[in-house]
Amino acid sequence: MAKRKVNELQQDFSVARQWFSDKGWAPFPFQEDVWRAYLEEKNGLLNAPTGSGKTYALWFPCLLEWIRNNPDDWQGKRPGSLQVLWITPLRALARDLQQAMQQVCDDIGLPWTVALRTGDTSSAERQRQLKKTPECIITTPESLHLLLSQKDSSRLFRNFRALIIDEWHELLGTKRGVQVELAISRLQQINKQQPKIWAVSATIGNLEQAIEVLLGQKGAREAAIIKAAIDKKIEIASILPEEVEKFPWAGYLGIKLLPKILPIVENSQSTLLFTNTRSQTEIWYQQLMAQAPELAGLVAMHHGSLDREVRDWVENGLHEGKLKLVICTSSLDLGVDFKPVETVIQVGSPKGVARFMQRAGRSGHQPGAISRIYFLPTHSLELVEAAALKKALKEEVYESRPPLEKCIDVLLQYMVTLAIGEGFDEKSLFEAVKNTYCYRHLSREEWEWALDFITTGGGSLQEYEEFNKVDLVDGIYKVQNRRIAMRHRLSMGTIVSEPVLKIKYIGGGFIGTVEESFVSRLKMGDVFWFAGRSLQLERIKDLTVLVRKSKSNKGVVPRWAGGRLPLSTQLSKLIRQTLEEAAEGKNNEPEMKRVEPILQLQSRWSAIPDSNTLLVEHFLSREGYHLLFYPFEGRFVHELLAALVAYRISRLIPITFSMAMNDYGFELLSDTPIPYQEALEQDLFSTKNLMEDVQQSVNSTEMAKRRFREIAAIAGLVFQGYPGKPITSKHLHASSQIIFDVFGEYEPNNLLMLQARQEAMSQLQEQDRFTETINRINRQRLRLELPPRPTPFAFPIMVDRLRERLTSEKLLDRISRMQLSLEEYASKEGFLK
Amino acid sequence: MGQQLQLFPDKAIFWKEQKSLLLSDVHLGKAAHFRKAGIAVPGTIHRHDLERISNLIHQTGAERVLFLGDLFHSELNKEWWFFEEWLHTHQEVQFVLIKGNHDILPPAIYQQSRLKIAEEELILSPFILTHEPLNSKKSKKGLYNICGHIHPAIKLRGGAFQQLRLPCFYFGLHYALLPAFGKFTGFYQIKPKKEDIIFAIAEDRVLHL
Repeated sequence: MAKRKVNELQQDFSVARQWFSDKGWAPFPFQEDVWRAYLEEKNGLLNAPTGSGKTYALWFPCLLEWIRNNPDDWQGKRPGSLQVLWITPLRALARDLQQAMQQVCDDIGLPWTVALRTGDTSSAERQRQLKKTPECIITTPESLHLLLSQKDSSRLFRNFRALIIDEWHELLGTKRGVQVELAISRLQQINKQQPKIWAVSATIGNLEQAIEVLLGQKGAREAAIIKAAIDKKIEIASILPEEVEKFPWAGYLGIKLLPKILPIVENSQSTLLFTNTRSQTEIWYQQLMAQAPELAGLVAMHHGSLDREVRDWVENGLHEGKLKLVICTSSLDLGVDFKPVETVIQVGSPKGVARFMQRAGRSGHQPGAISRIYFLPTHSLELVEAAALKKALKEEVYESRPPLEKCIDVLLQYMVTLAIGEGFDEKSLFEAVKNTYCYRHLSREEWEWALDFITTGGGSLQEYEEFNKVDLVDGIYKVQNRRIAMRHRLSMGTIVSEPVLKIKYIGGGFIGTVEESFVSRLKMGDVFWFAGRSLQLERIKDLTVLVRKSKSNKGVVPRWAGGRLPLSTQLSKLIRQTLEEAAEGKNNEPEMKRVEPILQLQSRWSAIPDSNTLLVEHFLSREGYHLLFYPFEGRFVHELLAALVAYRISRLIPITFSMAMNDYGFELLSDTPIPYQEALEQDLFSTKNLMEDVQQSVNSTEMAKRRFREIAAIAGLVFQGYPGKPITSKHLHASSQIIFDVFGEYEPNNLLMLQARQEAMSQLQEQDRFTETINRINRQRLRLELPPRPTPFAFPIMVDRLRERLTSEKLLDRISRMQLSLEEYASKEGFLK
Repeated sequence: MGQQLQLFPDKAIFWKEQKSLLLSDVHLGKAAHFRKAGIAVPGTIHRHDLERISNLIHQTGAERVLFLGDLFHSELNKEWWFFEEWLHTHQEVQFVLIKGNHDILPPAIYQQSRLKIAEEELILSPFILTHEPLNSKKSKKGLYNICGHIHPAIKLRGGAFQQLRLPCFYFGLHYALLPAFGKFTGFYQIKPKKEDIIFAIAEDRVLHL
């Protein structure tokens, strides 16, 4: 009986419906579906793209629940405690969300406060929140962990009713996603009200798993999964070069096509042009200003290193329709819709179907409008990708975001985070951590290692008791040293960035940030481009680069490190299929027609592999002996395959390789002859001892060492300081590489070392993908070609100077063929600055 | 003047005429310094460093060890007492520290140890030993500067985009640099010019490049 009564109340959407009709809108069916499921006390996942009204789908039921439980006085009284915790991946999104959500409360006369708690929140605002608890807090995973590091965090989180994880697809599969998992496990222990948990996710290949990660297997079975059936039409067109370069060189072609976008921009109210890197954004902006000066004032740029105020100005300009074109990076992938945007241009490979579709969806918001996206290739082979993307759209293919497993670095950081707050009881924390998806296979031994690591510093040598971090006091693990707590707070988070410097005008005015490594290559007086401006370096002071405006237009463009994204499995597969179709004359997309001359040349000198063939090329050049393989499996898998193949060949004879790879294939290069005939007969891709050999090849290269950089920073081994703030404890500085070497020699079984090897080996948990690739290759026929010179497929790989190395030669033998690199002599004082 | 300097792949110089071992940038106590701050690096690194010095003393029969600065990494910790004990195991050897930027222990600590201290430089003609390289204006006439501080390494390039980075001894016009001795230290890549003399350390060999 009681249950039925609740059900009747659940149906009362009147306040929400009234609000919609006051706006002249009506709720979408999917929104009401979410309200219903939520009010039935279900957890769930809403599958909805950015800008679909997903915020109202989840915000209203939180309010309706309060109204239902306080039917008579909901407009009069305040709960006096936190009701809703809303997690979003981006600080920039948080502000827009907060405004929209607060507006709803104000409109319906609900006296709730929606507050922001992010890295941008001032300490005054934080104090205010402490005095008068807001009803809703919108926060990021990092800031949520900071809240958990406070002494009274359980008081704040005791009673809230709902936990919403927005844009969950962005977090899933990252260490920030692991932070969310850990926070949920903690919140569920603190909060006895069993708060409802809802995630919002765009379409990904593993939606079921996405919800399982948050709710566990059982929870996922009982959860509601609601799809926003918003059918948006997407139209893809490529900007075709008149003539294709036979030897594709990444990046070069893009700018040449610039004149072709001018009419597109002209005919569209507003256009977003996405590039893959911040440097590209700068270059495009600069070139546009040079080639179409009439657009000055109507074009702006947007990327993550620009000052927040500049970005706000650009976003407002977009909303108001004042900007004709904005050149941006993924910084504008998410967030509220810009209604005037009619067209999107993607420059270069988007590397994944989901990202491409997400970007396409940023255009065309009028009812019934079509999302229009243009693909602009940066080298001619990318036209194949465009054709593959069209196929993806037709076949509705989406990537999965596999969740991460057993990240020891994030766990260590989290344990210290709790220890600087209220402290923890290790038994109950172990239980909670084991309950998360990420750590479900964490063993008791590994847990004890982690406890040991934060209390005694590991290694457990009695004479070295001078370790200060976490202490065990009356059964509770706590940090007592204030400096350690302070340093931990400053270095929390899982996004490990390069050290950056602020850029300011000499007369004042902050412009943005650049990486230290870029600045270190500049001399005083040098000119560089930033934020679309030509700037002259005046001096560097207190980690700030002081500049003045320059008239020169010959500046260099900053480079930002940051991984090159790998091609997704799905897109790789589509590319293989597209190429095969083309080889058989079955693909008639205009892109494939245009790329034909390249494919013909490739086919004449070597071959175009079909899906039953693995193409291998060998040739000699001035640089040495080249052996190339084309599995078309994406950069990450190729990195591992290159190391494996190099390792297996290096067991045949003493040899040294440098390896390069792109999304299509990989190259082994040596200055001595490669015994390729013998190697290919040996079955290089054999599954026999596969994992041992992969392990060995990872150990023989720098792959694990590179992974360790991020791990060391997250686990607190390398103190980074704050972005833009100096490292305060200089004497505590040691690079992750030194620490890696020291561990390698003195503590090789340190779990963080194992994690580095694991991450390198499974390339972010893509081990399945790797094994599948090996199996696929083993089903294929190997086709060895000996082209007279580098082929169109080989060329873009060969020119890559970012190389991995592997050797089985004696050091002295190698040195005997090398030369000291005598570079320009810096000054009279020698090489010292 | 014909002084004989013997270079060891274990990153030390034996000066035959003076029967002295020259080492620089040992950075003892660095691990403990990190551990005190909650950074869990292995604590045993420096035991190995001391063993290496003992081996060099036995191998060369050195009567004196000259530390060219950055012997001990910053604030006092237990590692120092272990180092003092170790000093006593070499009663027949004299130990001198030319102070570097990390050698910031209270004077009393140095005084009660067997270590002799040179605040900035030690002149043993024809050399002037310091921690940081002397600026050519400051360097004394006729004396050649031997120092540390830089942690020098050089880059070698080969065909097929190969490259190697190796720690090295550097002998330039104005000064010579020792490689950093300590295990828990990094490299700084130097860019020598043609007339400079470089000895690279390739595992257990010292190679003249």
